[in-house]
Order: sequence, then structure tokens, then C-alpha cells
Amino acid sequence: MPIFDQGYQHWNGQLSGHAWRWLAITRHGVRIGMKGKVLRLFLLLSLMPALGLVSAVSVWGLVERNASLVEPIVQFLVSIGLLNPAVAADPRHYRVEIWTLCYTLFLSMELTLSMILILLAGPELISQDLRFNALPLYLSRPLRRIDYLVGKLGVIATFLGLVMIVPCLSAYVLGLLFSLDLTILRDTFRLLLASIAYGLVIIVSAGTLILALSSLSRNSRYVALFWLGVWIISNVVSGVVQSTDHVQRRQARYQQAMVTKPDTPPRPPGRGRGGFPGMGRQAVVRNEFENEDLEAAKTNWRPLLSYTSNLSRVGRQLLGTDAAWKTLGELEPAGGRGRFIAQSLDSQYPWYWSAGVLAGLFGLSACILSLSVRSLDRLR
Amino acid sequence: MLIQFEQVTKRYGAVVALNNLSVSVPPGAIGLLGPNGSGKTTLIRSMLGLTRVDHGTGQVLGLDFQTRRLDIRRLVGFVPEDECLFPRVVGVEFVSYAGELVGMSTKDALQRSHEVLDYVGLGEARYRKVETYSTGMKQRLKIASAIIHDPKLLILDEPTNGMDPAGREEILVLARDLSRNKGMSLLFSSHLLPDVEAVCEYVVVLGGGKLLTDGKIQHLKQLHKQCYDVRLKTDPGLFVEKLTALGCTAEPWEDALRIQVPEGKSQRLLWEIAAEQGLQIRHLRPQRSTLEEVFLKAVEQD
Repeated sequence: MPIFDQGYQHWNGQLSGHAWRWLAITRHGVRIGMKGKVLRLFLLLSLMPALGLVSAVSVWGLVERNASLVEPIVQFLVSIGLLNPAVAADPRHYRVEIWTLCYTLFLSMELTLSMILILLAGPELISQDLRFNALPLYLSRPLRRIDYLVGKLGVIATFLGLVMIVPCLSAYVLGLLFSLDLTILRDTFRLLLASIAYGLVIIVSAGTLILALSSLSRNSRYVALFWLGVWIISNVVSGVVQSTDHVQRRQARYQQAMVTKPDTPPRPPGRGRGGFPGMGRQAVVRNEFENEDLEAAKTNWRPLLSYTSNLSRVGRQLLGTDAAWKTLGELEPAGGRGRFIAQSLDSQYPWYWSAGVLAGLFGLSACILSLSVRSLDRLR
Repeated sequence: MLIQFEQVTKRYGAVVALNNLSVSVPPGAIGLLGPNGSGKTTLIRSMLGLTRVDHGTGQVLGLDFQTRRLDIRRLVGFVPEDECLFPRVVGVEFVSYAGELVGMSTKDALQRSHEVLDYVGLGEARYRKVETYSTGMKQRLKIASAIIHDPKLLILDEPTNGMDPAGREEILVLARDLSRNKGMSLLFSSHLLPDVEAVCEYVVVLGGGKLLTDGKIQHLKQLHKQCYDVRLKTDPGLFVEKLTALGCTAEPWEDALRIQVPEGKSQRLLWEIAAEQGLQIRHLRPQRSTLEEVFLKAVEQD
């Protein structure tokens, strides 16, 4: 059929305002992303931890009500040492701590899954537009560069929000419903806000980072490799540096102990430091080293080399995870308290170091994006 | 006025892309001509607010092109010269997405995209991945995505570049139909003068970022009343000699003669000389400049 057999009709519809124009880009990006079978399957997989969170918070609601339905579960958890008997005896008193740890565990799992989700959904976002030279098509329409970038970030935000923020909200509502106690709102509303804030930190940080990487190459496979580098290699490097430092310090500590005379009395017992009557020499040294390790963690910068450790550190600060562990640690016997807290807490350096690293990465990403996603104000 | 620029200057470092350009263009089908580097693309980008000018003022469709950039882009459809695509979509999604980016609702954009794809002749390819389209199809797809919101002005930047004759003809017919029958103003930037002549009624010729000439094509291609193109059946040697003796100038031009007769004389003189010498005139018409001549003359004067 030759062209023009179908007539051209004028269109008199209304065009929407400018404020939500970026949403069209997000909607389109999500639609394109959801065409991929692997991404769809992985999204489902990423929702699995959410079931765990919802279950845990709901069960705790029943525990607080002393429901007979969950009594065997509580007894089982106490018997295997996962739940302190003191907590089981007064669940309402430890509500904030338990909720905090449930949310922390969920978000730490989702942090790893979100890295994979970004690997699947992120690399093509800008690189394909560069490859197919789509920028003139965007920028010649009533869009600014910031609309374009916010629209692309919205794609990441949609996928990550679906597996991080939506489950946090759902779990909260279900926990509230199962406990039938409005004081939950008073006790845990801060946690809800903190979990949403943490989700947003991950979305903004990882989202801008993957967009920046995506704008560096027209080949999305290279972008995926860059992302793996940022995520896995930074983790590996940080792990190796930390292990090396730990081993060196331990060796130095034990060597120092060996040159000390065997009849040197152990240091007197004290608050978190020193040994206890009846302890062997080795145990004393080990105990002292653990305390020193805990002290050294406060100035240990090596975890900063890992991208996910930085996110995790900020998350722990927002959620109040360390405070929750410390509260639960107080319930442990005095001999094992230090070790319990040391094992429970990760790196102890100031959280704002990590916040600084993330802010730096954000600034770098913004610079890269501003250089790569250029306007058309240039000579070809 | 469709476009009105006053003393607009744009520099890229040492390169002056627009040099104190002042131009007023009426609505209709406008051809934008000029050699490479003459400032055509910069002019288009300035109109769309894609590039910030260093100096000057102006309006596009009555809107200040420096402060109402987004509003202008809502009223304008732009078909860039380069091959550019939204990846991983089929034709109808491509056009519909373009509509959503302008501000159409999803439903309107989808409905309208089917209509415009039918109009540009891509109805049967609407569910094919755009990456598999031929060059001509991609060009028509870009036109469809530029007219989805029924713009008042459609800008076509080198729309027939790299196309086969059939595809080129389709684009020209499409552009002509939009401007002449659908009431859409057109800014048609091209190196190909026959294409501009086939579509436009008004041209703007740029050179070195300046306006060399502009006006209606019919006016620019003026008649030369004292100049005629003449072709004879036989050797024109004697005919030329006689004409020269009477104060005419005659030069070979293609397969004919271009003859300039003195003031006060008319074509009757040519008929009389031919009759005297028993020669047969096969072709005689007053000389009219071609668009190519207008263009070359303007560029040479620069």
C-alpha cells in the first residue's frame, strides 16, 4: 500500500506538565527491563528474603502476645541458643532490638541481591542510548539532562525499591497487625524510617554509580565488568588487606606474649580487658587480643576499600544495629560478653567515614555523568 | 513570523558558527541551504534551545528561543540528521515513547503512534524491532515520532541523506504533503537543492554563519528578460556571427546557446535572423535562474 492512503489527522489532546516528564523515561526503562526473563526471575528470587522478614516480624508479634501457636518455635530457638532466654521471657522489652536485627539481616541480604539486580538492569541504561545515539532524540524534546538522568535513576529505584523498601513497609504493617499493639508504632517507627532511608541511600549511591559506569562505554558488557569490579574486586581487596593486617597484629601480639616471662601474672580482671582467674595463658592472650582487636576496629580504615562495606556501615548506623547488639550482649554471661559483641559487630570505625566515601563516589559519578551525557551544545 | 533572529552570534572557541545573523522567516515550507560549516545545524540547535548563543535575541513560533526552550520543543518536531534510535523497542513502542516524552498520556501516545505509523507507511512494520529497519524506514520512523504530537513546525535536518531514489522520493512526498496539505510549517535543511526545490517555497541561504540570501524560490529564480536559451536544428555558426554583429552576446550553454540581446530588443530579433538565414529554431525560452545558480551566486558573493 503506498503511503498517504491513510490520511493524517490533527491531534488536539493535552500535553502534561513538565514536572513528571522523567517518569516517562522510568516507565519505559522498567518496561524494557521487565522484558528480560533473567531479570524477572531474579526479581522474584530477591523477594524471598522479604518473606523471611515478614514471617519473622509477624511471628515476633505473636510471641509478644504469648500465642501458643509460636511457643514451640520460641522453645526451639532458645534451645539452640539463637534466642536468649531473657529475651524470650520478656519479648516486648526487646522488641526494638529484635526488629532492628531482623531488618538489618534482611537489608544486608538485599544489599547483596541488589548488587546482582543492578548488574542485570543497570549496564544498558545509558550505554545503549549512547550506542544507538538516542541522546539527540531525548534532548530535542522538552526534556533537560537532569530529567533524563532522574528518569534513568528511577529505573534502578523501581527495581531496588521493589525488593527493599516495599518489603520493609509490608513487614512493618504485618508486624503491627500480628502484634495488635499500637505501641509498636512508638517503638519502631524510627526503624521504619531508617530502613527506608537506608534503601534510598543504596538506591541513590548504587544508582548514580551504575549510571556513571554505563555512560562510560557503548558496550554494556564492559559496564557489567566495571560494576563487578566495583562490587566484588573492592570487596576482595578490602578483605585481603583486613586479613593481612589482622594476621600481622595477631602474630605480633602472640610473639610479644611468648617473650614475656611465663611466670608473669595475667593482667587483673577488669571491665572488658584482661583475663580471669583460672584461665590458661593462651586464653588470656587470646582474650586480650580480642579486646585489642575491638579497639583497633575503631580506627581501622581498611573496610572503606569495599563499596558494599561502606553501604553496610551507613546502614548499621541508620538502623541502630550496633546499639541493638550491645543491648543483647549485656544479657550474655560476663565471660563471653566481649567475644559476643566482637563477633556481632563488624567494623567499628566512625560511620561518617563511609558516608564520606559514598558522598565522594556520588560526586565522582555526577561529574562523569555530566561529562558523558552532554548536551548538544558542541561542534560535532 | 515562524522564526525571527536578531544579530545572533554563536562561537565554539575560535569557530564562529553564527555571525551576527539576522533573519525573519514566514510560515510555510522553508529550505535551509548552505555549504558545510555554514551554520545550518547551529541555527537549528539554537532554535530548539539545544545550544546557548553568545549574543542576540530571537523568537521561534512567537516564543523567545532563549527563555522558552522547553515550550518551543513542545511545539516543534525535530528529525535529526544522524541515525538515532531508542533501542530494544518495536516501531509502535518507539513512536509512542516519543509521544510520552513530549507529554502525551500513554493511551493517547499509543493510539496516535498507530495513526502516524500508518501515515508514513510503516503500518506493517510496526511490531518489528527498530534495529532491523532499513535506512529509509528509520527515517520515516523518525518523522513519525516527530509528528506524533502534531507539531506546528517540523524540522528535517538532511532527511534524504544516504537514501536510495525511491526512499528519497517517499520522504519528499511526505514532507510536501505535510506542508502543503496538513498546514504544518517545515524547515528543510539539505545540501540537495532539487530536494529543497521539490518541497519548499522559501529558502534561507547561509554561509559562514551569515545570511547570504533569502526569499521565495519563485522570486529568487527570476526571469532574465533580455536573455534567452536557444537551440537550433543545424550548426549555429552563422547565426552567432550575425547576432554578435548586432550587439548580442551568445555563449554555448549545455546543448544550446545562451543569448543576451541588447536593451530595446526582444526575442523577435532572434526569429528574424533565423528566418533570414533559413535556420530552424527548435527551442527558445527566456532564461530563468535555477536554484543552484541562486545558491552558487550567493555563496560566491560571500
